[in-house]
Amino acid sequence: MRLLFAAFSVAILVGAAIPVQAHHSFSAVYDGNKPVTLRGKVSKLGWSNPHAHIYVDVVNQKGETVTWEVESASATNLLRAGIRKEDFIGTEVIVKGFLAKDGTPTVNASSFTLVELKKEYTSDEATPTAR
Amino acid sequence: MKRMVILAGVCLALVLDTAAFAQAGPDFSGTWRFNQAKSSPNIAGNTPIVPFPSQLVVKQTATEVHVDGTSVRQQPTSATYKLDGSKVSIKAPSGITETGEAKIEGSNLVITTRRSFTSPLGETIVDFKEVWTLNGSALTIEKTRTESGDSATEKAVFDKV
Repeated sequence: MRLLFAAFSVAILVGAAIPVQAHHSFSAVYDGNKPVTLRGKVSKLGWSNPHAHIYVDVVNQKGETVTWEVESASATNLLRAGIRKEDFIGTEVIVKGFLAKDGTPTVNASSFTLVELKKEYTSDEATPTAR
Repeated sequence: MKRMVILAGVCLALVLDTAAFAQAGPDFSGTWRFNQAKSSPNIAGNTPIVPFPSQLVVKQTATEVHVDGTSVRQQPTSATYKLDGSKVSIKAPSGITETGEAKIEGSNLVITTRRSFTSPLGETIVDFKEVWTLNGSALTIEKTRTESGDSATEKAVFDKV
């Protein structure tokens, strides 16, 4: 019984830790001084909360295709804005956001536009202070 | 001789008056705090498309304007622009190069800056243009961010502290 209780407690702690790790602070990961704009095709989608992750194939200045990871709002928020999972795959997207501090092809999206569908999403996670 | 001295004095006064008149224009000096209620909704939040500072401290002379900006998400900025429109280097965080120009255009202060840094896209260049307008005790800044041929404009209002 004691072993069962210990196992249950560990499971609760691990379960609680996963979303905490996923919902990090902006400034811990992204550089607010480095805005970037990406244009490319969506190759993969992580439809999840608290953030959806959009993977976009972007051609860089050397002509190489690089897959970028775009952290967006939650899947729930996107659905509320009328954007569905099915809207993404294979579509062209324009993303405005901020580059990751570690220099990897990762951005936090301020907004994105699904070009063919003419749908635009702007981050609605407004808080009462200017950034 | 006395007439000459008086004439020279009058001429000097006229020259000084003309210079003062030429320099008379809007003075943006002061401490300015962001007013969210009067500003565009898209500039507050986790990741604004066009970022603005939360507070500005501005010191303006006849020839220069010094601007200190502080914000939550970005590192503090500090720049001294010459009002003749000549290009100056701006102190920027590590890995970023930034230059800027400023000039008074009528009742506005226009500041243009170019920020460049390396990203997985290659050399990334972001241009900003700010048009400052005084309206009583409020300062309105209309700021345009242009990058890769794509641009966005937002407006922020700051109250004098």
